[in-house]
Amino acid sequence: MPIKREKPKERFSYDPKKVIKKLEDLGKEILELVREGRNPFIDIPTRGLSNVYFDERSRLIKMGNKLSRRYFLNVAHARKFMQTLLIAAYVKRLVSEGKHASLREAYYANKHSLAGSKENTFESQSESDPIIEDLERTLGVLREEMHLTADRRGYVYGDLTIRDGEDEFNCSKLGMGGWAVPGTVEHLEFVNINADYVLVVETAAMADRLIEEKYPKKEKAIIIATQGQASRGVRRLIHRLHYEEGLPIIVFTDGDPYGWYIYSTIKQGSINLAYLSEKLATPEAKFVGMTMDDVEKYDLRNVTEKLKGIPPNKRGGPSGDYKRIIEEMNYPWFKTKEWQRQLKLALKWGVRIEQQALANKSLEFVAKKYLPEKIAKEELLP
Amino acid sequence: MKDSKDSKELFKEFKIQSVSEFFRRNAAMLGYTGKIRSMTTLIHEAVTNALDACEEAGILPYVRVEIEELGSEHYKIIVEDNGPGIPENYIAHVFGKMLAGTKAHRNIQSRGQQGIGISGAVMFAQMTSGKATRVITSTGGDIIEAWVMIDVEKNEGKIVKKTKHENPTGWRGTRIELEVKDVRYIRSKQGPYWYLKLTAIANPHAHIELIEPDGRLIVFPRSSKEIPEPPVEMKPHPKGVITDDVFRMAKKTRRETVKRFLIGEFSRISDQRVEELVRYIAALRLIKKEDKNRRKQLLERLANGEIDIILRSYGKKGKQALRAARKLIEKEPAKLTWHETEEIVEAFKYMKFLAPPTHGLRPIGEINIERGLVSILKPEFVTALTRSPKVYRGGVPFQVEVGLAFGGNIENGFNLLRYANRVPLLFDAGSCVTTLATKSVDWKRYKVDDLESAPLIIMINVLSVHVPYTSTGKQSIASEEEIYEEIRLALMEVGRRLKRYLSGKHRKLYVVKRRKTLEKYVDEIAKALSVLVNEPEEEVRNYFVELITRKFEEVETEKVEEVVMTSPGVEEVNEESE
Repeated sequence: MPIKREKPKERFSYDPKKVIKKLEDLGKEILELVREGRNPFIDIPTRGLSNVYFDERSRLIKMGNKLSRRYFLNVAHARKFMQTLLIAAYVKRLVSEGKHASLREAYYANKHSLAGSKENTFESQSESDPIIEDLERTLGVLREEMHLTADRRGYVYGDLTIRDGEDEFNCSKLGMGGWAVPGTVEHLEFVNINADYVLVVETAAMADRLIEEKYPKKEKAIIIATQGQASRGVRRLIHRLHYEEGLPIIVFTDGDPYGWYIYSTIKQGSINLAYLSEKLATPEAKFVGMTMDDVEKYDLRNVTEKLKGIPPNKRGGPSGDYKRIIEEMNYPWFKTKEWQRQLKLALKWGVRIEQQALANKSLEFVAKKYLPEKIAKEELLP
Repeated sequence: MKDSKDSKELFKEFKIQSVSEFFRRNAAMLGYTGKIRSMTTLIHEAVTNALDACEEAGILPYVRVEIEELGSEHYKIIVEDNGPGIPENYIAHVFGKMLAGTKAHRNIQSRGQQGIGISGAVMFAQMTSGKATRVITSTGGDIIEAWVMIDVEKNEGKIVKKTKHENPTGWRGTRIELEVKDVRYIRSKQGPYWYLKLTAIANPHAHIELIEPDGRLIVFPRSSKEIPEPPVEMKPHPKGVITDDVFRMAKKTRRETVKRFLIGEFSRISDQRVEELVRYIAALRLIKKEDKNRRKQLLERLANGEIDIILRSYGKKGKQALRAARKLIEKEPAKLTWHETEEIVEAFKYMKFLAPPTHGLRPIGEINIERGLVSILKPEFVTALTRSPKVYRGGVPFQVEVGLAFGGNIENGFNLLRYANRVPLLFDAGSCVTTLATKSVDWKRYKVDDLESAPLIIMINVLSVHVPYTSTGKQSIASEEEIYEEIRLALMEVGRRLKRYLSGKHRKLYVVKRRKTLEKYVDEIAKALSVLVNEPEEEVRNYFVELITRKFEEVETEKVEEVVMTSPGVEEVNEESE
């Protein structure tokens, strides 16, 4: 059964009013505590590995319910308490005025010196960024929904018409470079889509190759280049395209632990952004390559590269790639038979394979044979 | 005749030599060794005289010391006081009589340690510069100006020149001017400056001034108006005497029998104790006749108080011995032989007496020590402790006082100020029990991490009728176990007080800092929160200001913030750590 667009599972639901309401509620709770003469606090879900778990049912990395309580009357917390409120007030202004600010702009907008001291409200962006993440977790609201944007990374190409504010455009008519995915994709509307699936590609070079070979047109695919680890914008776009537009997601990365981890992040979410997994991750995504089986099947032995680091059976090992692979073997979502086989083979052979290695056959090989064949036969990993 | 004249001459020469010879030979004991120390000793003698005279007359002392440099190692030392003055016909006696110290051999806590006092200073001046000592004094009437020398032939004071002046202002006091050579003025820890500073600390009722050779005036002001009561003579305790003491006292006493003598001139000796003494002497005489092993055994039993059993075991012989011993008690004290005196003192060793009375000791007192330390050192924290009197070697009463001053104007670097009967000890610090005891305390326990560099001064005053000095120099107190322990206990207590102060100080600083930190953020928080809740910024701000105020009002009774679980399903609520 060829891969086709399915029925949508989610409806687009972004309401700036909800965000403002949440911010106001936070403020009211604090004011209420202070009025009662109690020590005001903000409960912030704890970040880090200790507060993350893999939910087997939804197959998502999720955040636990450990909370850190940030008190005003605690000297160690007071500064962050102040910073959190500062950002919250800033976000309220942004959202109500319908403006967007980059993380760096948010930092500069809120940086000023405290009256009667040399101290600044924020000393560097590395102070404001985590506060923004804290606020996301506390309110359960995306940074994007708070009108705070990150740098663009990754692009999309294909027969997909998007309305972005007053502009409407088709992503296959913007030149070979496609359309760069912004940090915030919440406000985008998908006007028209003429595609069967989304192919997420790790490297820009491979995406460019596929575009040149007219793969999107021939195979009715939308190509999204992540350019390394997928940014939040890209992940959110993938999520929306899958859930709101019913497009199947197929991921194409290098055959190495780093590539597989990119896939894992798109599919299950990441530890850092565990609280956003439900909005960023796409557990239904599938993996087309590169796999170790490809090496054998397409006779790519001579274009593999050696894994970096020390193998587990050698002194000092495992380290580098080997260590990473062993870690990945222990991820619950890689516990499937297929994945364990790939990872074990990689360990056994001690090799990795890049997407571009397919050019060893011919430039068109990947677009004309490798991908269409594998996808048509559904030789995909879960 | 010729022979006899020669021998007379010889004898005369011998006498002349003996006084100055005595002085030279005992220079160390008298404190006149070294150029710096000699200078300090001269000032010590003069200042002590002044302070004692004032105390005895109930006058708040005002002492002014002036040191003029006349040439190389050649000085004039002037000490003036506002004391009662010296009556005209006593001047020669006070300044001239060597070894006539009124305090020597008396059972009294005294400043003068050497029993030679100011006459020694006069002698020293005379020996080094050849000059007489000028004394200007008045008891309120005419002012008498006298030049005093010591007649080494007669060993007494001699007024070389004397004039009377009118006294229209009614001045009263004494001024002495000593011209000395072979001494040196240095502002060191062993010189007059340091000596007077320490004296001022231990005598807060005195106003002391010093004019240094370069004309600099240093004032140690009075900080207390309490004149210390003069010490009282205490009768010796039987456990604190040696044969020589008893023998000499027996020769001098006017009592008719040894029994009366012992009861009357010793403390803690009663009729009963004398009866007991007779039994002990008798027993000891009998025991002495036994062979070595048996003697040892019996002496041990005697020490255990088995006197009656021992005497009874001798039967008839015992009763005879008792009768013989009783005769000794009924003797005239003057006829007591050395051997008999020894027997009495030996018996004392085996007997039990009440601890000696301590009413004669005159501590400076906690309040006065604190006053002295505060006014001279201007510290940030001061505390003092006077322990109750104790006894060492079984019969010698003593008492320990400790003062501690920390921070403020005190420079970094630890200093120990040592005193014996209020007199500063400036030499031989290393072997002194006060130094040893101070070193033995673990100061880290009291928040003094590095004693040597701490802004800390400790003063220790050991009071006793007989301060056990390590040497004739009398500048270092021997490490008697009881004294050592008392000093340690006192140091640990003031150490605990210092620790309490330091922790309190840290806590207070911490609280102030915390409050400032929180207040710093109030403006920002108020602004942000007013945006979030659409309420006036000023109102929001006030809530926070009130919250902080209330928080720090109750900071003393602060409790750890209780963590309340508010949201259901919350497994764990951690306070954010930073």
